[in-house]
Amino acid sequence: MANILLRDNVAGIEAYFAAGGYRPLKKALALKPAGIIEEVKKSGLRGRGGAGFPAGLKWSFIPKDAEGPRYLVCNADEGEPGTFKDRELIIKNPHALIEGMAIAGFAIGAAHGYIYIRGEFAAETALLEKAIASARAKGFIGRNILGSGFDFELFVHRGAGAYICGEETALLESLEGFKGQPRLKPPFPAVKGLFGSPTVINNVETLAAVPYIIEHGGDKYAAIGPARSSGTKLFCVSGAVNKPGVYELPLGTPLRDLIENNCGGMKAGKKLKAVIPGGSSTPVLTAAEALGVNLDYESLAAAGSMLGSGAVIVIDDGQCMVKLLQVLARFYHHESCGQCTPCREGCGWIEKLLNRLEDGRGTAGDIDTLCSVADAMTGRTICALADAMAMPVTSFVTKFRSEFEAHAAGRCCPPEAQGKY
Amino acid sequence: MPKLTIDGNTVEVAKGATLLEAAQQLGVYIPRYCYHPKLTVSGSCRMCMVEVEKSPKLVTACSTEAADGMIVRTTTDKVKAARKDVLEFLLINHPLDCPICDQAGECSLQDYYMAYSLAKSRFPQGDKARRAKRRAVGPHLVLDNERCILCTRCVRFCAEVTKTSELDVMERADHSYIDLKEGKALDNDYSLNIADLCPVGAFTSRDFRFKTRAWFLKKTSTICLGCATGCLIEAHHHENAVHRIVPRPNAETNTWLCDHGRMTYKAVRAGDRLAKGVIKNGVIDLEPALREVASRIDEAHSAAAVLGSPWLSVEDNAALSRLAGDALKTENFCFDFTAEQGIRDGILINKDPAPNTAGAMLLKAARGGLTLEEFSRRIGAGQIKVVVTEARAAAFIKDVVKASGARLIVFATNKAQIPAGAYATLPYASYFETPGTFINHQGLRRRAEPAVEAQEGVKPLWEMVNKLAVYSGTSLRLHCAEDALKGINF
Amino acid sequence: MSFKLSEEFKTKAAHICARYPRRDAALIPLLLELQAEAGFVAEEAMDALAQYLELPYSRVKAVVTFYTMFNRAPAGKYHLQVCRNISCHMAGAPGLLARLRGKLGIAEGETTKDGLFTLSTVECLGACGSAPVIQVNEDYFENLDEMKLDSLLEDLRHGKHPLKR
Repeated sequence: MANILLRDNVAGIEAYFAAGGYRPLKKALALKPAGIIEEVKKSGLRGRGGAGFPAGLKWSFIPKDAEGPRYLVCNADEGEPGTFKDRELIIKNPHALIEGMAIAGFAIGAAHGYIYIRGEFAAETALLEKAIASARAKGFIGRNILGSGFDFELFVHRGAGAYICGEETALLESLEGFKGQPRLKPPFPAVKGLFGSPTVINNVETLAAVPYIIEHGGDKYAAIGPARSSGTKLFCVSGAVNKPGVYELPLGTPLRDLIENNCGGMKAGKKLKAVIPGGSSTPVLTAAEALGVNLDYESLAAAGSMLGSGAVIVIDDGQCMVKLLQVLARFYHHESCGQCTPCREGCGWIEKLLNRLEDGRGTAGDIDTLCSVADAMTGRTICALADAMAMPVTSFVTKFRSEFEAHAAGRCCPPEAQGKY
Repeated sequence: MPKLTIDGNTVEVAKGATLLEAAQQLGVYIPRYCYHPKLTVSGSCRMCMVEVEKSPKLVTACSTEAADGMIVRTTTDKVKAARKDVLEFLLINHPLDCPICDQAGECSLQDYYMAYSLAKSRFPQGDKARRAKRRAVGPHLVLDNERCILCTRCVRFCAEVTKTSELDVMERADHSYIDLKEGKALDNDYSLNIADLCPVGAFTSRDFRFKTRAWFLKKTSTICLGCATGCLIEAHHHENAVHRIVPRPNAETNTWLCDHGRMTYKAVRAGDRLAKGVIKNGVIDLEPALREVASRIDEAHSAAAVLGSPWLSVEDNAALSRLAGDALKTENFCFDFTAEQGIRDGILINKDPAPNTAGAMLLKAARGGLTLEEFSRRIGAGQIKVVVTEARAAAFIKDVVKASGARLIVFATNKAQIPAGAYATLPYASYFETPGTFINHQGLRRRAEPAVEAQEGVKPLWEMVNKLAVYSGTSLRLHCAEDALKGINF
Repeated sequence: MSFKLSEEFKTKAAHICARYPRRDAALIPLLLELQAEAGFVAEEAMDALAQYLELPYSRVKAVVTFYTMFNRAPAGKYHLQVCRNISCHMAGAPGLLARLRGKLGIAEGETTKDGLFTLSTVECLGACGSAPVIQVNEDYFENLDEMKLDSLLEDLRHGKHPLKR
């Protein structure tokens, strides 16, 4: 099927408009906000940032009788290792996001929207600001949009380097000018979010799908993919495949197809060893598991992992799983906001245990400690970062235990990975 | 009013109450580090996790609102494991320097470890994350970042109570640490509360540093005489020496205590503490000093006068009133002090620096006497030639005394209190050594209770007054402080 | 205090602050602006900004130390930030890093004597499909290998990449 999101030659506003862009906005403005939310609910669109929460339901949580401002925030803090789809989407189709935000803003009654983009994306920030300016010039953003009486201002807000700001309440803290430390919930952002007001936070990809849903109807979108995983999804493939990159595919596509067809298979001389299917936080799958799973929320959950952000990290047989887990542990240790005890102390502990195993100082006991520390972190913190550390630990050790044992026995890496580092 | 069950017992709580508060109501203690009843909820230490039926994850009792029908369990294996895990996490990077830590004996890490963990450490010593060790931050505090468990009580205290926001957590993950601006002192008026708030030995008091072990301290409930607020306090002492003062939180006046109030005990053992009399600038034994003062009073006849003091207890003021009425038999006495009352800084410090203005005014009501204005006028007019008063109260008549050359006879505990030009000074026991009643700015009557014994020969003020009266030929028959109150109606 | 916010900065800052219902929400964008002007955020700059936004200094400092993009000391003209996360790692980031260390004679966190290069490692830059990736100041250089890295260094040395700071 044709791409909904990743389309060529629609980056400029003229081209986007010529291809039918901003018609959905006009259509939406003629509807009732509740009707738009209903349509999005009907589409079955689920959050594309990682958690997969139904978007229409999220919008409907904004209290109907809430006084004062409401906010719409786009989460463009793309930081989950392996994920690079939002950047691609912003470069190729920025107006789908802008239009999607205007529609969502109208649906939830927000007069202000912010796109929180990770600080490293300087070029993409400039690009978005330019796109917003051109949309404003055409009257799609700003006061009295298309004569409807609806005002919607949209700003880009740059972060400054913190993975945790991808967590929606940390993002709000950051957007308010604080350290990005997740908030206690409840209250949830829909009730008390940005600047204390009701707020909806959606991922770039989620919002960019909205114009299509409004234009073609929720049913048409829902018809794509399996029942509870409707629509297309951007899959980001990295690792030793011939053609890594972002692919827009219907949910439910077999992972095998993505690797073998879209990505042209494994690079010459490389064999598939494992796949992290949804970004670094999701449990790893062995090659056999990976080749038998479909890419949708339910199939991946059934396989013991998650769709996450759609970041498919392909691990080849030349890689040492202990080393890769050490790389991930270093990352989570680096990114823990430091607020909750189990995460603050646990991430560092796990990295240190892996350093020992990697350096040949580790013991078999360290492997058990690794697992029990991961257990002690799971489900015990304000946000999911601790779980995001624990899941790879548990899955790596469970599925590739022999490699960890070999390290503990002093044989550092399996022969095929020897000498690589 | 939600009704819920905690560990099998039902409790009804106010709407909005948290599980931790509900448990407290039932007498169920839930361990906590970051929670403090007077600070906003942070929910980050994860020590207070409890099990709630139908909730897949443990919840933090400090932040979870009690709801009708909730079934809460605080002693399950899951809860116990969570507590044990948090303690293990907190201890991996802790320096375990309890033998040289002032917090030892009253440290939540130690106490909770004994109560909820007793696990052997699995963490190699060499892997510990290092942080900055002790350094003075401000006049009253020492900060040891390595002992810190990042509960942020101190940060929230400075942000929410003093609103000075000196502190914050810098960096992130396990290399984060509490800090303030380089070169800046943590010198708000309430900084020592941070040493109390800190559940571990990260913030300790410079004053209390290495004085004694916490477990040797005996505790006496008494009141602060640092100003008219009259905070409830506890004096901690060992071997007849007060070592520190901490607040006794109460709904009427204070959760906290100001740094000035905390330091008031220092006068008790200060180098300038008076044990003998002073005539002009010469120190003499008490008895000759009393004899000398008595003869100056007698010499002045009806020109002798007594000025009460808002720094003295009701009983000691009453003793002074008896001196005037029964011994000197003069109308020249005054208990008229009208200081502006009320909290000056929005927290605790009162506009009135004296602790007992209201108590002195009671004497005025009961005994009458001159207004301060008339009292001063009479000094100026030469009708009063000798004034007996308390050292700090002498400030009320300072100028007129100086101008008229009237003789000033003062009671003082410390040499530093003696006003310039005082003719004679008599020592008396401080209210850390003798009891007394004080009335704070809200009209609350409170007792100072002795924590330590006064030095040999140093007597309460009423007793000194009694002696003085005897030297001047009258017995007031004061055998205890309360005797002074006889015949006074209030 | 020698540091003063420039008039130009204040004009820009007023414009940025206007995007939010509370001025202090502009803290991070304004810190990025200050860094764009000076290449790093000095203590005095934090102080000045704290006063400008009427915030406690401790909050500004906490924010600066929380986010990794703020340089607290002057960096070299070219700040080489090597992604070391999983996809770049598998694609050879450790080799690139070792090569940069060797060629520049510095370790991570250090700046060459001529002030040209600062070397850092960073976590995932969000360009994993074109790993390995290095960000130089604000520009991404993707699909690198040793040859491309060498020629990038040469180009930078000869001023051939007109990079923003």
